[in-house]
Amino acid sequence: MSQIENVHTKARELLESQAVDCVIGFGKGTTGGSRPLFVYGPEGVEDLIFDETCAHNLAKYLLNRKGKTTAVVLKACDARAVNLLLSEHQIERDKVYMIGVVCPGIKENGEPRDTCLRCGQRTPVSYDYLAGEPEEATVDAELQYKGVAEMEAMSMAERKAFWEAQFDRCIRCYACRQVCPGCYCDECFVERLDPLWVGIRIAPSENEMWNAMRAFHLTGRCIGCDQCERVCPVGIPLSLLNRKLEKEVYETFGYEAGMDPEAAPPFATYKKEESLGFGE
Amino acid sequence: MGVEFEPRIVGFLCNWCSYAGADMAGTSRISYPPNLRVIRVPCSGRVDPILIVKSFQMGADGVLVAGCHPGDCHYAEGNYYARRRFAMLRPFLEYLGIEGDRFRVEWVSASEGRKFSEVVSSFTNQLTELGPRATGAAV
Repeated sequence: MSQIENVHTKARELLESQAVDCVIGFGKGTTGGSRPLFVYGPEGVEDLIFDETCAHNLAKYLLNRKGKTTAVVLKACDARAVNLLLSEHQIERDKVYMIGVVCPGIKENGEPRDTCLRCGQRTPVSYDYLAGEPEEATVDAELQYKGVAEMEAMSMAERKAFWEAQFDRCIRCYACRQVCPGCYCDECFVERLDPLWVGIRIAPSENEMWNAMRAFHLTGRCIGCDQCERVCPVGIPLSLLNRKLEKEVYETFGYEAGMDPEAAPPFATYKKEESLGFGE
Repeated sequence: MGVEFEPRIVGFLCNWCSYAGADMAGTSRISYPPNLRVIRVPCSGRVDPILIVKSFQMGADGVLVAGCHPGDCHYAEGNYYARRRFAMLRPFLEYLGIEGDRFRVEWVSASEGRKFSEVVSSFTNQLTELGPRATGAAV
């Protein structure tokens, strides 16, 4: 059976046995491509699709279904997002059924996404049921921090100028936050009026404040799905920020977000005897 | 003739060690540059990185965070968490185009009035050399 037939069978089984109330998966988009699809009964499972247009990270929707039993179709990056939410105790493991799919690499406008070229993880790290045939991970270390290394090689003034030009375009629509599975605070710092962390006025430095803190709040938490970059209407290379922090966290703490739901996140733990360059 | 550049430093001092260390410097009549604006915080673990980024955005030339020595935190572990965050923040600031040298983390105990004075003096000198922070079109 093909992967999608397996997904249909599993989804039907879960809904018929009432093991879950809802299956979140991908459906056909109205203008081509795909869209998130919520299936509440066995009659709807045939509408589920999975192909290389299925770009959304469906883990985000689990946050709206806290306490309700839900099955969700997960690519490799999405499964890491579920692990992130589990490690932060945002969702309960026994309420979530993870249907893993083997990802062909997502394409946009016929071109593979940069994220998908970097990511060699075709099979999710965690799943309850895997619909496809598992594939070996082929991670290209060179590619992983491509762009970040080039940024690091620039001079301070060049980097400053680069980010100024990028953030200058930001319209602070917060789409990057809305789509991010790691951004789930009830009240985001950007909406605080007292203290007013990010001013309402239109100014480059306010844009920088937002973008810097959005990225920093994902330190050791970003699972690299790059949804933020995908939805950015002005094309700010947000993954350059996220991957810089990902790299620092990996090099310093040897931690990768979303790989193991049991591992303690780097900022939620510490070692007494560690030297982090502050004269210890 | 231009006015000589005087760096503006925002200092977050932990209530239990570094703030008392600054007090010690005062009562011992040890002078230090007046460039530091002190904000007293309960613990270096209270210093959210947003406070540091915001300080830079509001025009600080340097930010100092001083807390109890590792192992001596009044709350046992606040500074351990803090230093992990700062260890990630510093390279990130550099990446955004803010010199890492403008952000300093120091461990100053309540008895180290002399050290406190030295820290502020050397930081002020360093920032004077670095010059004013080049800010964008509008801050």
